[in-house]
Amino acid sequence: MFTERFLRDRRGIDLDPAERAILEAAIIEVRTVGPRETIVQAGERLELSTLLIEGFMSRYIDDRRGLRQLVAVHVPGDFVDLHAYPLKTLDHDVATMTAATVAIVPHTALDRIKTETPALIVKLWFATLIDAAIHRAWLFRLGRLDALGRVAHFLSETNARLVSAGLSDGRRFALGLTQYDLAEICGLTSVHVNRIMRQLREERLCTFRSSLVEIPDPERLARRGQFDPAYLYIAPALAPGEPSEAQQ
Amino acid sequence: MKNSETVPQPETRPGVATAEAGVVILEGPDGVAVTMTPDAAIGTGQSLLSAAETARSQTRHEGADV
Repeated sequence: MFTERFLRDRRGIDLDPAERAILEAAIIEVRTVGPRETIVQAGERLELSTLLIEGFMSRYIDDRRGLRQLVAVHVPGDFVDLHAYPLKTLDHDVATMTAATVAIVPHTALDRIKTETPALIVKLWFATLIDAAIHRAWLFRLGRLDALGRVAHFLSETNARLVSAGLSDGRRFALGLTQYDLAEICGLTSVHVNRIMRQLREERLCTFRSSLVEIPDPERLARRGQFDPAYLYIAPALAPGEPSEAQQ
Repeated sequence: MKNSETVPQPETRPGVATAEAGVVILEGPDGVAVTMTPDAAIGTGQSLLSAAETARSQTRHEGADV
């Protein structure tokens, strides 16, 4: 099943088997895409949306000099450009970071779901609201945290999202990103990211080698990055980090 | 809570600059995280010193007016 990771183990929402089957039937194609390929360009007219099945994708904006700010990273189970259904064009580019497998859902199929299964459309809306919550956390990260805090927050967030997707055991996960990617995510130079990774390793907060992230003490890393997983709406038992009252 | 208590305040602790792989990394105060070439770092340092002297004299003048 291609949609098994979509909204898996989220707090306050659950796709029943019939809804998952409807979503599954809405997929018209599953394709593999190579790493570092742009699949949506800002401003282009869109009639399809993309569900990420495997791999990592990003949304990004380049400045006038061509320097890139990643504004979102997507993990398996994310409906990457569901926003394009009502918007029809995006204000940013979407690309793969690693090799990826994606499922294509035409907007006409979403029209049918809207008419025939309105409860499912609310659940799709829920998914885009989680994306918005993640954007708010990214603003906080860049606006309030120091360099080590930014990287700690990102790795804690990614760990929590991958736990929810069934791709992390809470302390160890595969992450096919480079230090350049981390630099573009955290607004740092690659030299600075290199130094931060060394610091994280020396302080036994985290190691990131050969695309494998290991976090010996997720709560300590979360504290260093002021990461509170409440905004991800992950089932409390699964959410690594500092639990807040909102999550109880 | 008053707004003045939640907006960023002037930092009282200095940032720390270190050299790494031929560039200068300035960390802090607060969320500052910037990497500079040695020339840019020297220029920034001189500008900071000059602005700090001016800021001190502004504080002295404000004190004299009271």
